Amino acid sequence: MSDNAPAPEVVLNMPARAEGVGVVRQALAGMADALAFDAAVLSDMKMAVTEACTNVVVHAYDEGSGQLEVQMLAGTDDLTIVVRDHGTGIQPKPARTEPPALGLGLPLIAALSDAFELRGTAGQGTEVRMTFAYERDGDPADSNPVSGQVGDDGRWDPGDPPA
Amino acid sequence: MEANAIVLDDTAGDVVVVVVEGEHDIYTAPTLRERLDEALSRGGGIVVDLTAATFVDSSVLGALLDARRRALESSQGFVVCVGETVEPGVQRILDITGLVPVLPVLRGRDEAIEAARSNGGDG
Repeated sequence: MSDNAPAPEVVLNMPARAEGVGVVRQALAGMADALAFDAAVLSDMKMAVTEACTNVVVHAYDEGSGQLEVQMLAGTDDLTIVVRDHGTGIQPKPARTEPPALGLGLPLIAALSDAFELRGTAGQGTEVRMTFAYERDGDPADSNPVSGQVGDDGRWDPGDPPA
Repeated sequence: MEANAIVLDDTAGDVVVVVVEGEHDIYTAPTLRERLDEALSRGGGIVVDLTAATFVDSSVLGALLDARRRALESSQGFVVCVGETVEPGVQRILDITGLVPVLPVLRGRDEAIEAARSNGGDG
């Protein structure tokens, strides 16, 4: 961590399982309440963090064998939330029994957060870092709209939407 | 009473309403898929009522889109509905994904039931 990075305020570490995602949302709601976030921004935070945690649950590990780590760092102007795994990197796990993900996770995170960064290397885990301003200048979804549309197969097609 | 219930209401007769309450994500999406399968297996129209839902994520949208595709394939009506006021945790994801006209999403269960009756291709 660099010298000017804010100190961690809340750290959650739990098995990367589906039932943990709601627990992260509850913790986030408590944190946001203490910081007097606007309800609309809290809603965006919950959704973005849910998608990031879901990516860890679905993609990071073989069944039930890894940790989901969430850090919430309160800065002067914003709250940064880091969702981290120590898995094999961003790749689908074809052996899993869940229906395939819609592929909307990262586009949603980009649209809902005021800033967003994805870090990861094969074999060393993945980190999604999202920042939410206490006072927004505008709607981030206007700057980073969710791209794509529902394709002919009924699934999300990330290609260019019709003009 | 269960906080995050998903129940079938078949009091409308030929249209089954899947009533979704509370928060739903990857943890409850398998249950939602089961309920949607059951609703589809009855052969009539399907309405998914999100009026009492407070949060839905992309796992839920995936389940809804799959059910919609299967309903279309078998000429069953499929409509999602919300109430007069919609929780931000539901409205926001529908808005930014542009899915309101696609699913489609209507206001009010009665309107949705009527629409599901008439958009099934045989009614």
